[in-house]
Amino acid sequence: MKKFLCCVVLGLSQTVLADKALNLFNWNDYIADETVARFESECGCKVVQDYFSATEEMMAKLLAGNGDYDIVIPTQNAVEALVKQGFLTPLDKSKLSNIGNMAAGFMNKSYDPGNTYSLPYAFTTTLIGYNETKMAELGLEPGDWSIIFDPKVLSKIKGKVTVMDDSEELFAAALKYLGYSANDSDEKHLKEAQAVILKAKPYWAAFNSSSYIKELTVGNIWVAHGYSSDMFQARSDAAEAGRSFTVNFVIPKQGAVLALDNMVIPRKARSPELAHQFINFMMRPENAAELSNIVGTGNPNAAAKPFIEEEILAISAIFPSEQQLNSLETLDARNAKSRRVMSRLWTELKVK
Amino acid sequence: MARPRKTLLLASALVYLFLYIPLAVVVVFSFNDSRLNAEWVGFTWKWYDQLFSNPQMLQAARNSLIIALAAALLSGVLGCLAGIALHRFRQKWLSALVLGPVAMPDILIGVSLLLTFMLFNIGLGSISIILAHVSFCIGFVALAVQARMSGMDDSLLEAARDLGASPWQSFRLITLPLLLPGVIAGMMMAFTLSIDDFVVTFFTAGVGSATLPLEIYSMVKIAVTPEVNAVSTLLMLLTLVLITVLSRFSPQSLRS
Amino acid sequence: MHHRLSKVLLALPPAAYLVVFFAVPSLLMLLASFRYPGEYGGLAPWYYIDDGQLSLDLTTENWLRLVESTIYLGLLLKSLGFALLTTLICALMAYPLALTIARSPKRHRDLLLLLVILPFWSNFLVRIYAWMIIFSPQGALSEGLNAVTGLLGLEPVNLMFSSTAVIVCLVYVHLPFMILPLYANLEKHDPALLDAAQDLGANARQRFWKITWPLSLPGIYAGGVLVFIPSLGIFAIPDLLGGTNGIMIGNVIKQQFVEARDWPFGSVLSLVLTAITLMLVAIAGRFGRPKGTANG
Repeated sequence: MKKFLCCVVLGLSQTVLADKALNLFNWNDYIADETVARFESECGCKVVQDYFSATEEMMAKLLAGNGDYDIVIPTQNAVEALVKQGFLTPLDKSKLSNIGNMAAGFMNKSYDPGNTYSLPYAFTTTLIGYNETKMAELGLEPGDWSIIFDPKVLSKIKGKVTVMDDSEELFAAALKYLGYSANDSDEKHLKEAQAVILKAKPYWAAFNSSSYIKELTVGNIWVAHGYSSDMFQARSDAAEAGRSFTVNFVIPKQGAVLALDNMVIPRKARSPELAHQFINFMMRPENAAELSNIVGTGNPNAAAKPFIEEEILAISAIFPSEQQLNSLETLDARNAKSRRVMSRLWTELKVK
Repeated sequence: MARPRKTLLLASALVYLFLYIPLAVVVVFSFNDSRLNAEWVGFTWKWYDQLFSNPQMLQAARNSLIIALAAALLSGVLGCLAGIALHRFRQKWLSALVLGPVAMPDILIGVSLLLTFMLFNIGLGSISIILAHVSFCIGFVALAVQARMSGMDDSLLEAARDLGASPWQSFRLITLPLLLPGVIAGMMMAFTLSIDDFVVTFFTAGVGSATLPLEIYSMVKIAVTPEVNAVSTLLMLLTLVLITVLSRFSPQSLRS
Repeated sequence: MHHRLSKVLLALPPAAYLVVFFAVPSLLMLLASFRYPGEYGGLAPWYYIDDGQLSLDLTTENWLRLVESTIYLGLLLKSLGFALLTTLICALMAYPLALTIARSPKRHRDLLLLLVILPFWSNFLVRIYAWMIIFSPQGALSEGLNAVTGLLGLEPVNLMFSSTAVIVCLVYVHLPFMILPLYANLEKHDPALLDAAQDLGANARQRFWKITWPLSLPGIYAGGVLVFIPSLGIFAIPDLLGGTNGIMIGNVIKQQFVEARDWPFGSVLSLVLTAITLMLVAIAGRFGRPKGTANG
C-alpha cells in the first residue's frame, strides 16, 4: 500500500513539474500534427493542447477565471467579448515579423480595430454537407437552405437530416432562409425563425454537432448542417474508405455564417514570449498553408496561397468567390438581452 | 447453501451478455483496418502503434488512472466514515450533505467547484480534479456502506465493548471487516465514476492536466477513431492488472 | 460520553470535507441564482460600492421565469419518468445477477464482481459509440427488427435517434450502480435463515419472498438511489442518442451553463432539480426501508 501511495505522489508531482511548454486552448482538430511537431522542434518546447468544441464551452471556462493559457483560438465575436472583459494582453507587433503575410481583407475588423489583441488564424463557413449520390437519386438541390427547412423537400429525406445543436448557428441559418441578417436581434424575426425550425423539426433525425461527420461518412445521414472543415473531413473520409457514394458540401445560395478564428494571448498567460513566437510561426506561409491542406479551412494568409494545393483552392465552399463572400456574414457578440431572448426560444423549441 | 437455480443462472448470463456486447464492439473495432468504425474491414495493429506515438494521449491516460485511484482511496475512507455515521445517528442534515452531491447535476458541481476553487485560490490541476471527484464519490461509498450496515448485528460490538475493547479496537476488529464488501463495492464505483467523468473534470482541470475523457471528447468531432477504442481497451486491461496486483499486495483489503 | 465522542469523530471528517466542497459551492450557486448574468456570460457583480455606500444588485427574475411557463415542469415530469423506468429496469436486471454472485462459491465472487465492473473502465463515450454502431440503421439489429416489422406490415423503426435508445443506454451505464450495493447487501444474508425456512417446509418461492426479498430492500434502496439520481440529471446520452424528441431536464440545464451562458437560470433549474431529487429520495427512504433496519 505504501509503495502505491508513493507512486501516486510521484505521478502527481511529475504532472506539476512540466517542461517549458506552450499551453494552447484550441478547437478540436484545428491544427495539423505536423505543424505542432515542427513548432516543438523549433522552440525546443512542448505544445500542450486543451480543446473545446463550442465558443460557449470555451467562454464558460475562461470567464470563470480559469485562463492561464498561452494561446486561445476564439471566433471573432468571442474576441470582442474577451477584449471587453479585459481578458487579453495586447500583442507586441515588434515580435511578429510575419504580420505582412496576412490578407488585408481579414485585418483591422470591427471586433478588434488595428488588430491590437488578435490576429486571424483560419476561417470556416457553416453550410450544408450532403450525400451526393442520394441527392442525385432523389433529384434534390442541396445548395439552398430549403433542404433543411422546407417540409416539402424534407418529406423525401425524413429522418436522414441533422442540424447543429447550437442556437446561434441554427437561428442564423433560419434567419438567412427567411432573408434576414444572421445577426438580426428583432424578437419578431427570431420568433419567425423559431416557427420555421419547429415546422422542420419533425423531419430531422437529431440536433447534432458532434457526430455528423461520421454519420455522413457511414451513410446513416444524407444531409447535415455543419462546419466546412468538418465536411471536408467527411468527404475525404468517405473517399478514403471507398464508400459506394460521395459526400460533398455547398454554401446555400441565401448565404451563410462565416467564422473567422483568431490567435489571442490571455493576460494571465504563463509564457507570453513563447506565445508570440507561436503566432509568428503560424503566420509563416508554409505553416499557415497546412491549415488548408490538412485541416481544410479557409486561409486569411495571403502569402500562403502558393503553398495550398490547387484542388483545395478550387473548392468554393472553402475559398468562397467574391460574390459568395458578399452573402456571408460573421456573427456579432449578442448582448445579454438578445442572448436571453434567443435562449428562451431555443429552450422552447427543443422541448416542444 | 441452496444452489442457484437454472432460470436464475440464465438470467444472469443474459445480463452479462448485455454488459459485454458493446464492449466486444469496442475491442473488435480497435483492431479494424478502417477509421470509420462502421463495418469490419480487416485486422490491424496500426491503431495501437499510433496510440503509442501519441504522448499526449498516454499522459492523459496516466493522469486519469492516478486521479481515479486517489479519488477512490480518499472517498473510500471518507465515505466509509460517512456511511457508518449515517447509520449510527440518522441526522437529516448529514444525509443531505452526503447525498447532495450525488443528487446535484454534475454540471452544477463543476461550475460551483470552479467558483469555489477560485474563491479559495486553489490552483487548478490534478489536485483540484481529485478534490472535486471525491466530493461526489463520497455519497456512493457511503450508501453502499450504509446498505451493508443496516440490519447488521450490533450485539457483537456491545460484546466487544463489554470485554474492554476500545472504540478503535472494536472498529478495526469487528466493524471494518464486516463492512469491507460494502466499502470495496463503493470504492469500485468511485473509481469507475472518476475515471469516466467528463463534465466536472472539464471545469476543474487546469492547463495541461487533461484526463482521458477530455482527450477523447476532443477527438469526437472527427468521429471516434479506432485509436480511441485502442486506448479504451488498454485502459481497461491496465486497470484490471492494477487491481489484481493491488489485491495481491494487500490480501485482506480486497478479499471479503 | 466516550461513545458520543466517537460518533462525532466518525462524522467529522466527511462532514467537514463536504461542507467545504459541497455546501459552500452550493451556497455560492444559491447566491448566483439571484444574480444577473454577466454581459458576455458568467455572473454580473452582485454589489456595488458608491461613495462608501454598499448597494446590492440582485433579482428574483430567474426564479419567476421557472413558473412563467409549464415547459420546464413538463420536461421535469418526462425526465422523472425516464429515470424511474431506468431504475426499474436496472433493478429487474441487477437482482438475479447480484443474487447469483452472492450465492456462488466464495472464491468465484471477486471475479464475477470484477466482470460486472470491467466494461465500465473503458470510456463512457466509446461505449455509447459502440451502442450507436449497434443501433445504426445499417446494423444487424435494425435490419432484423425491420424485417419483422416489415412482415407485420408496420412502419420501419429507427432505433438510432429515439427514446428507446436513450433508455437502453441509461440502463447500460447505470446497471453496475444497482448491482454493487445490492450484492453488498445480499452477500451478508445468513444462509442459516434459508436453511431453517427450508426445514420448516417453505418452498423456494416462499423462502425468497419471506426472507431474501425483505432483507434485500436496503440494497435495492441504495442501488435505486444511485441509479435514479444520476440518470435524472444526465445530458450526454440524450444529446447523442435522443434525436429531436428525447431530451431531458439535464440538457436544458447544460444549455443554460454552456450555450446560453445564463448561469443564474442554470442555477435555479439545478437547485430545484436537486431539491426535488433529495425530497423524492427521502420519501422513498420512508417507504422503501423495512422497519427495524432504520435504526442501528
